[in-house]
Amino acid sequence: MSHRTTREHDELRAIVRELATERIAPRAAEIDAGSEFPWDLKELLAGQDLLGTCFEERHGGTALDNVAQAILVEEIARADATTSLIPIVQKLGALPILIAGSDEQKARYFPRLASGEWLIAFALTEAGAGSDVAAMRMRARHDGDDYLLTGSKRFITHGSIASLLTVFALTDPEAGGRRGMSAFMVETDTPGFSAPRLEHKMGIRGSPTAELNFDDVRVPAANRLGDEGDGFKIAMATLDRSRLSVAAQAVGIAQGALDFAVGYAAERRQFGERVADMQGIQFMLADMASQTEAARQLTYAAAASVDAADPDLAYWTSCAKLVAGDTAMRVTTDAVQVLGGYGYVSEYPVERMMRDAKITQLYEGTQQIQRMIVARQILKRAGVSRAAKPQRGTPSA
Amino acid sequence: MKIVVCVKQVPATTAEKRYTADLRLDRAAAESVINPLDEYAIEQALRLQEAGAVETVAYLSMGPESAAEALRRALAMGGEEAYQVTDDALAGADQWATARVLAAALDKLAPDVALMGMSSDDARGSLVPGAVAAIRGLPLLSYGAELQLTGSTARIRRLTASGFDILEAPLPVVASVTDQVGEPRYASLKGIMAARRKTLETWSLAHLGLSSEDLHGAALTRVVEARPPEAKAPTERVENLGPAEAATRIADWLTARKLI
Amino acid sequence: MSDDICFLAEFDGGTPARSALELAAGAADLARESGGAAIGLAYGSGAAAGAASLGAAGASRVVVLSDTDGPAIRLAAAAAATVGDDAPLALLAPATPNGRDLAAALMGLLGLPALGPVRAVRIEGGRVRAEQSTLQGTVITVSESAADAPQPVIILALSGTFTPLEGGSGKAAVTTAPPADAGALGAARIVESHPADAAVANLEEAKVIIAGGRGVGSAAGFEPLHELAAALGGAVGASRAAADAGWVPYQLQIGQTGKVVKPALYVGCGISGAIQHRVGMQTAENVVAINKDPDAPIGEFADLFVVGDLFAIVPELTAEIRRRKGMTD
Repeated sequence: MSHRTTREHDELRAIVRELATERIAPRAAEIDAGSEFPWDLKELLAGQDLLGTCFEERHGGTALDNVAQAILVEEIARADATTSLIPIVQKLGALPILIAGSDEQKARYFPRLASGEWLIAFALTEAGAGSDVAAMRMRARHDGDDYLLTGSKRFITHGSIASLLTVFALTDPEAGGRRGMSAFMVETDTPGFSAPRLEHKMGIRGSPTAELNFDDVRVPAANRLGDEGDGFKIAMATLDRSRLSVAAQAVGIAQGALDFAVGYAAERRQFGERVADMQGIQFMLADMASQTEAARQLTYAAAASVDAADPDLAYWTSCAKLVAGDTAMRVTTDAVQVLGGYGYVSEYPVERMMRDAKITQLYEGTQQIQRMIVARQILKRAGVSRAAKPQRGTPSA
Repeated sequence: MKIVVCVKQVPATTAEKRYTADLRLDRAAAESVINPLDEYAIEQALRLQEAGAVETVAYLSMGPESAAEALRRALAMGGEEAYQVTDDALAGADQWATARVLAAALDKLAPDVALMGMSSDDARGSLVPGAVAAIRGLPLLSYGAELQLTGSTARIRRLTASGFDILEAPLPVVASVTDQVGEPRYASLKGIMAARRKTLETWSLAHLGLSSEDLHGAALTRVVEARPPEAKAPTERVENLGPAEAATRIADWLTARKLI
Repeated sequence: MSDDICFLAEFDGGTPARSALELAAGAADLARESGGAAIGLAYGSGAAAGAASLGAAGASRVVVLSDTDGPAIRLAAAAAATVGDDAPLALLAPATPNGRDLAAALMGLLGLPALGPVRAVRIEGGRVRAEQSTLQGTVITVSESAADAPQPVIILALSGTFTPLEGGSGKAAVTTAPPADAGALGAARIVESHPADAAVANLEEAKVIIAGGRGVGSAAGFEPLHELAAALGGAVGASRAAADAGWVPYQLQIGQTGKVVKPALYVGCGISGAIQHRVGMQTAENVVAINKDPDAPIGEFADLFVVGDLFAIVPELTAEIRRRKGMTD
């Protein structure tokens, strides 16, 4: 293990691995086949205090450091990517409140989130605003001391099953997305809110990915996070931290695929010998293993930088998510290859792992967005100033 | 009411295990876990505590330094305190020495029930509960599918060849339970964190008023040889036969071995 | 100190248990090598009346500890007096709950070495040596008692380790152990006894076991296994999965937390062969497995592995066996 992991980390890993192997892995295939959210596993994780790891003890959480949280997600994802989204999204949804919420707001909602009684989701993306967050259109109109939210969100993980959402909307459309966006906490039983459809996806099929409709949903001012106009900053700060979970998820998916491929190669015989004794396969497995390990160590280093509140933690988490996501895709694809024809059929889990891996290159900032973030950082360090971007609507000089 | 659960750390069932050059179990080599059958004893004790029949659940283990891991894991499942007997003189201890040491420690802790699992996974020894009862001069309630406590007695339900018996004895007792008790709980994260703050005391033989001589040098038996099992003839596989042909093939095989 | 070999002999209704006959034969064998006598310690209902019959089983004499039923551990003090006086080379005990508890109490009271469950025992250079399968069958050890250890060494044996004598004759000399105060070890009593409606065969003594696992699918699914067991004169066992699912009573469970069996023939139907089950049956002499899954782990250690549908194969097998044995309906 990394020099950054402690005995407590190893102990946590052992416990979660046992749980994942005995209770989560056996359910993975049917969760995928049935596209069903695993409520039983959510209860299991909640009961083991595994949904409260990013909350403080005074709110009923266990306040684990980010390395421990990464290990937790990694071990669950190794068994099943869909189930690993339960702790991932619980943190993602709560991060805006952790970053910008008042003590009163935290005390109001965190206990129910830490215990897993309520699920929370993060509602930022819209049909026309994915990578381009600032192109958001959802409005939050003033109405007395309240706001009325109107618009739609798309691709919101757990949006249809969450009891609470952190939602981003424009309080000042004239000011544009970067300065006119605000963040709100919205309870989903508020009139006017609905989740009319779910996406049918390539992977993580047990995780509901929802379209959300807000039709004059009334939100009190007490549910606004920070000041009006803080929304974009809060969203970016959230993603800077939450993408770490996706990196951990990707590492777990890769490890699960690698472990299965190794086990298969050790058993399968062709041409009178074990597949695992064929040098070509050994080379593939070696590449898979070393790349997974590299992604893992980078993820833990990024986690440590978040724990230390490094000013350049965004660079670290971006690197980690970039490398881990691409590694997961590569490793799972190779795992299918190692299994040959058997890798393609649903009787074996690696095809599911490959379908699950793809999302880690897409959500919480596509790999292209990650590259933009990393590039910006390294150029900044090298003293290369940012090119002026042409303003929309102004003719070039 | 106090229960002390005796817990042993053993190599994991699926781990690679081996004996050292001096023919002792290499306890460092394999991943160690709580003896699976002891987990049922832990679960039984914790259920009695949750039902209000027991106030304190404590754990006792005899083993090398690393056995503290098993005790921490037990504390993570529940319970209040743990005691570990560790002494160089105990290396390679056999069942009698183990029983002698546990008995001395249990006399010190004086619980109402000294609870154990049915046997241990590594050596499949199962004589410790009975020996502890005999040494301590206490009644034994063994192989319980369930343990119940009233004010002054303990009862177990024991499965028999057909049906079950209820056995009863006055407290204090030594008891052992089987896997019929129910699925042992997983340690929760809060349990793990709480366990780090719970008492874990380490005792040497001297603490128990015992010396190496008392234990005949810890082992009344010794291993003179350790070897891998005989290579088995490879498995004969029968595939792609219709049921009637497969049945004939099996019957032929049985006949050849004079089994029918 | 003597060269005698003692053994525990359980009785029920005047009849010796199979373990008593097996241990008598084992003791007789070892006593021939050691030059001592094979001495039975009998207990259980009708032990007094039945004790002499152990002569034909291999015992030269028998000491009756008790003539009534009850937890055998209450006889530890009485047994300790006899065993302590004679200090035989070895004491063979059956690996049953009663046998283990009584042997355990003797170990505790007299500070005795103990070995087992063993696969084989022999006398080498005047010392008792026992072979054991340890660490889930991955290591075979040979052990003996330490040089200055007291006698006897307690040897636990599973059913099937020794073979009862055939065609033996003669009666053993019978004496009664002097009464001894059981002390606290006599304080545990059976206060209620609930026999089940149907008696369940004693798996630990069965020579043939047909075991069903998850693949059997239901309680009704065990029917063909019962038929096959009947045709082979054997008993039905099960994996933990089948017992947990409620398809069979728990008494039938074989494995890490259930019974350990050593039959001459074990047929596993719809059993994957996970290690937790394997440790309960891996010392069976002949292992046949029938499973739909060609990659089931049991295929690695079975002697004969048949890939196929147990519901199609087992009835055919039963019919074929009945034909060959000339059994008519």
